Amino acid sequence: MNAPTHHAQEYHASGRIERRAFVALMGATALAGGDALAQGTPKPGGKLRVSAQGNPSSLDPMTGNSGSDHVVLYPMYDTLVEWDYATLQAKPGIAESWIDPDPTTLVLTIRDGITFHDGTKCDAAAVRANLVRAMTHERSNIKSDLGTVKEITASGRNVTLKLKQPDSALPLILSDRAGMMCSPKAMEESGRDYDRKPVGAGGWKFVSWADNENVVMTRNEHYWKPGRPLADAVTFQVIPELNTGLRSVTAGQNDFIYFLVPQQKALIDRARNVSSMIGPTMWCIQMYINYGRPPLDNVKVRQALNFAVNRDEFNKAAFGGLAEPTTMLLPKAHWAHVAELANYYTHDPERARKLLAEGGYSNGIDLVGISYSEQLSVQQQEILIEQVRQAGIRLTFKRFTGPPTTTAFLAEKQGDVFLSAWTGRPDPSLTYQLMFGVGSYYNAGRGEGAPGLTEALLATRASSNLDVRKAAFRKLQQIVTEHALMVPLVFRPELDAFGKRVHGYRPNLLGKPKFTDVWLEG
Amino acid sequence: MLANHPRLRMVGRRLAQIVPVIVLATFIVFGLLKLVPGDVAATLAGEYATDERVAQIRVAYGLDQPFLVQYWHWLWNAAHLDLSRSFMSNEPVLDQILHRFPTTLLLVFCALLISLSVGVPLGILAATRVGSRVDVAVTSIASFGVALPSFWLAMILVATFSLSLGWFPATGAVRWSVDPRLAVWYAVLPAVALAAGGMAEVVRQLRSALIEVLASQYVRTLYAKGLSPTAILWKHGLKNVAVTLLTVIGLLTSRLLGGAVVIEAVFAIPGMGSMVVRAAIVKDFPVVQGVVFAMVILVIAINMVIDVLYTLVDPRVALK
Repeated sequence: MNAPTHHAQEYHASGRIERRAFVALMGATALAGGDALAQGTPKPGGKLRVSAQGNPSSLDPMTGNSGSDHVVLYPMYDTLVEWDYATLQAKPGIAESWIDPDPTTLVLTIRDGITFHDGTKCDAAAVRANLVRAMTHERSNIKSDLGTVKEITASGRNVTLKLKQPDSALPLILSDRAGMMCSPKAMEESGRDYDRKPVGAGGWKFVSWADNENVVMTRNEHYWKPGRPLADAVTFQVIPELNTGLRSVTAGQNDFIYFLVPQQKALIDRARNVSSMIGPTMWCIQMYINYGRPPLDNVKVRQALNFAVNRDEFNKAAFGGLAEPTTMLLPKAHWAHVAELANYYTHDPERARKLLAEGGYSNGIDLVGISYSEQLSVQQQEILIEQVRQAGIRLTFKRFTGPPTTTAFLAEKQGDVFLSAWTGRPDPSLTYQLMFGVGSYYNAGRGEGAPGLTEALLATRASSNLDVRKAAFRKLQQIVTEHALMVPLVFRPELDAFGKRVHGYRPNLLGKPKFTDVWLEG
Repeated sequence: MLANHPRLRMVGRRLAQIVPVIVLATFIVFGLLKLVPGDVAATLAGEYATDERVAQIRVAYGLDQPFLVQYWHWLWNAAHLDLSRSFMSNEPVLDQILHRFPTTLLLVFCALLISLSVGVPLGILAATRVGSRVDVAVTSIASFGVALPSFWLAMILVATFSLSLGWFPATGAVRWSVDPRLAVWYAVLPAVALAAGGMAEVVRQLRSALIEVLASQYVRTLYAKGLSPTAILWKHGLKNVAVTLLTVIGLLTSRLLGGAVVIEAVFAIPGMGSMVVRAAIVKDFPVVQGVVFAMVILVIAINMVIDVLYTLVDPRVALK
């Protein structure tokens, strides 16, 4: 980290939306039939009912373990740092500004006058208590997010984080679980039960959580953002089965459902009382590779696999053409996207065969994949099996149900490749660190995939200057792409459906809806 | 004195079965869950997994203990009515069960009621008109009901009566304790979908049992004595098939409890079925064990009630 950056005032002055992000956002609007932004005057009131796909793993941000929790956590917890919906660039939240006076120090200035739902102050001391808890508590799942933090002090409105090494990813890390501020008083009083008795500083206050049934929240009348939130209450109805969830919206029992599969677009279009919206996300469908052992420790074989895949056809067949084909790990709308690496491997079975032969597999190769037994996943597997077969790669899949699938590949080291997804992180360095870092859980081989990778990874967190970071990510992604450490396929689109009375919703690049600006008609 | 009463002895025998059956059932389920691939510690770490964190969780939740030690801990706590907490949501399992059981019970009760109220008249109608068009129609409906997948019927019902006509809700449930009228209204469509197979089973069993009774020699004698067909059917025929009907009800109740798993998923009903399916997928042992524990008690209780009813309908059963 070099020069001081990211003052709130500075952010707003330069907080323009980049061209490609603007195009992406407009695309989402257009697909929603122009109903997304041009929606009249926002009106407060009403109860928003959302069909949620999963029961929260916990309502304590520190102990939860599922990416699907965020949608339920955001309404109750405001974060220290927020992000721009279109680009995921950091912007002020509870922390009104932050500076880095030297490369290993980050100073957050906490906004004045914010209170938790229990009436206690959300000040620098509370922020420090939250961060220390996340770093040290035995039940914390996010210790590694704050792994570079050495010491935290609070003074006046400032919270100072002393770091072990430069870490420019921290601001965006503080827009995730680590930055969701909980009332220290409530945490102390509830102990382990805080999982089920959350007290944050967000737009809505927790009312009740019936496990696997619903989470109910009511408006926080003392919310610090003027005029927000608009809905009087939010209820998340837990409906894991997507078709059932969509039926609940069509029948008018719920108002909103998010992250549907593209195959459901036709169903939404047929329902006259429901609108839909599609937006880009960071959710990358990809084949993870265990490059720690033969045959995929051979770069030629990995490159052959990348050339063997026809991403455009995969998109058409599995996603109705609504997804974004890619050979890199960040979508077009993201600030660190590298256009020339997004189409690096074009479909070329002949070249794939040649590379296999160069790698010592002139008679083709047998690979075992690991993936899910769900219908849509099986469909994707069958497409890939057929595509790579044309290049002499005989791919078969071993299928599992639910979380054991991940364990089979990442912990038990079964299979050569793993067809799954990466849901993205607010700061892209975490994505790369988690997937390719030496010893990382999501790096099945656990080793360094390519020379210079670790150094390139560190470089992405060394400076807070956006241009410097972009250059560092370009170099890192180039190493990942050229050494074919992953087989990225497409970025899954965010497809949401909502009743006609819902207005003001905007999709975000993270693909995890926020409802602060949503208002209801009638 | 009371202990010598045949009916009480029978109840005592059923109660004595509870402990060994619970131990056996939960031990088998625990063993099967252990054989399922996957590491619950990795699941608990979720998207934030690191090798270190997974190892910490394994120790924290006692998952590093030997299989028998883990089972013994669960059993010991269960014996003290502590069914532990869900690994996933940290909610006490007993609370989860008490919260969800009434919803599933209402669904099963409604389905049983529909099965019997439709199945019994149709069964009688078919048995008293053997070989007629009515009999053919009823047996055809019954065969259709057996063959019909409940989830398919459920979706057809939702599309017609919820989405098109708007008469019933498409998803969800309301607890009996909150609003009994609304609870039944929400339960109608899922109960009909669940009852289709049960209704067919009642028809088929009742029809064949009643045909056998009505063709027996003592019924012929009753006819010879000049009793009306209605009196023969209601006073003698149905009384003799009551044991068969009770057996069907007992088996049907257990089957409906199992079938509720699918229907709860289609209608997004927060009941026991959906709970145990989700828990089994993520290997949430305490929840699965707790549900098995509750189910064993329920099934034994149902069997006990059926046995008692047997003795009321046919006192010879108790004497045997």
